[in-house]
Amino acid sequence: MFISKSMTRDVVTIDKKANILDATDKMINRKIRHLPVVEHDNRLIGIVSDRDIRSAMPSIISHDYNSKEEREKLSKLKVADIMTPDPITISPSYTLQDALCLLQQTKVGVLPVVDENDILKGIVGVRDLIRAFINVLGIGEPGMLLGIVVEEQTGKMKEIVDAITEEKISFGSILVAKYWDKEKRAVFPYLLTKDISRVKKKLEKMGFILIDPLEWYLEQLPKTS
Amino acid sequence: MKKTGFLFDKRFLLHKTGPYHPETPERLEAIYKGIEEAGLLPKLTLIKTSRADLKWIETIHDKHYIDRFSDACISGYETLDRSDNQMCGETYETALLAVGGILNTANMVMEGKIDNAFCAVRPPGHHAESDRAMGFCYFNNVAIAARYLQIEWGVKRVGIIDFDVHHGNGTQHLFEHDPAVFYYSIHQHPSFAYPGTGREFEEGDGDGLGFTKNSPILPGQGDEAYELSIKKDLLPEFEKFDPEVIIVSTGFDAHVDDKMSDVNLSTEGFSWIIKMIFNMAERYANGKLISVLEGGYSLKHLPELAKNHVEILLNGGENVY
Repeated sequence: MFISKSMTRDVVTIDKKANILDATDKMINRKIRHLPVVEHDNRLIGIVSDRDIRSAMPSIISHDYNSKEEREKLSKLKVADIMTPDPITISPSYTLQDALCLLQQTKVGVLPVVDENDILKGIVGVRDLIRAFINVLGIGEPGMLLGIVVEEQTGKMKEIVDAITEEKISFGSILVAKYWDKEKRAVFPYLLTKDISRVKKKLEKMGFILIDPLEWYLEQLPKTS
Repeated sequence: MKKTGFLFDKRFLLHKTGPYHPETPERLEAIYKGIEEAGLLPKLTLIKTSRADLKWIETIHDKHYIDRFSDACISGYETLDRSDNQMCGETYETALLAVGGILNTANMVMEGKIDNAFCAVRPPGHHAESDRAMGFCYFNNVAIAARYLQIEWGVKRVGIIDFDVHHGNGTQHLFEHDPAVFYYSIHQHPSFAYPGTGREFEEGDGDGLGFTKNSPILPGQGDEAYELSIKKDLLPEFEKFDPEVIIVSTGFDAHVDDKMSDVNLSTEGFSWIIKMIFNMAERYANGKLISVLEGGYSLKHLPELAKNHVEILLNGGENVY
């Protein structure tokens, strides 16, 4: 789950001396919202976002946006003037989970990936993480989700996995909702098959309770009284 | 009364799937029994099947896949691509016979010998992709029929309606770039059902953008949701598209008692849908409608569902527009 496997390697960068109109063009052409700012040796010194550029632009209401003077003023504005210097970065040895937590905590949209010498190696954004988690969940492959209530007892999970494996059904993933109910958790296996009717019947016979699909809720937190 | 064709051949029973598989020869026997015991056979034009020419299979499927399928059969493999696709030594030939029968049906409809038809075939087809078997399907029967109508009969606009409870991923993917084939599917919501595709925002791609439409149905919903979605999503699209021929992927697995799904369509709900499709065929396609069996696993209900299906093809029914 290392970032080096999930990051975008072909990073579009910009020079700190470039003017902000060039930066805008680059973002529009490549359909991206962030440009890492690098030195000639690809050392990261900052990042510029479409929002930084918008803030630097004169307001359409109070300024004559297309006037010669305004355009000249804008064309003199350099990336270095508006970029965020020393942005939050991660190393290629960070994990996907690290990146998720950091994005959540810092509320930034992308994380440049740099080595120990601050040389830019890649970039990871919300979109890369979504792609990675679609793969983790296995939902790019055809299959079906099942919801099972499990008591907090050693060996219960094994019983479920064994029962499904005996039916020669492959797993796409298994998610666990830890706090389903008092001393009960919910298990959500994603099974790579079209027919789960037999395995459903089998699990019910073994005493497991299957959850009505409309009640599926994977991010349940502990219930407080 | 319409001239309705019926395709059935005992050789469709030869594709065997082992002791625990839901897609069994008994399904087809139940369907045949329902039609026979209702005394409908004398009213129907019985269609003969023949082995499909490989050139038509190749219009849809990758040649390597066809070879792989044939080789797997000869070598006695029990599955193809995934454990869902259980097969036997006869599966490949049976799949060719199913396609062949459907192409014969297409000819009869286009020649005006019959108005419409129900093709009770196995194995089913709508999950099959160009290069792999999926969800009990090997050759995409409906997709091959649509391509055949385009090439052999010069049909400019083929409308496909798929009401099997599972999304027909194969059919959608094969035509999602083609504005000459409109694919509409109504099925259990992909987050709750195989194969996990067929979301509302899948609407075709490139030139085919706007020629694919999906209506996902949530678990527990039934007749009302189907009626609402078909009126809201399908009718306006077909009014614009104006299909020359309608092909139907007919699955009976959305039935409330079918264990393969969690949606609750009633027997009457199925009749409403096929009446709706019949009326659409009248309105746009001069009655030309080819219904091809996909899923449906309740041996208890299949006879009645198939009987009602064929009766509506024969007699139409009130205009439910």
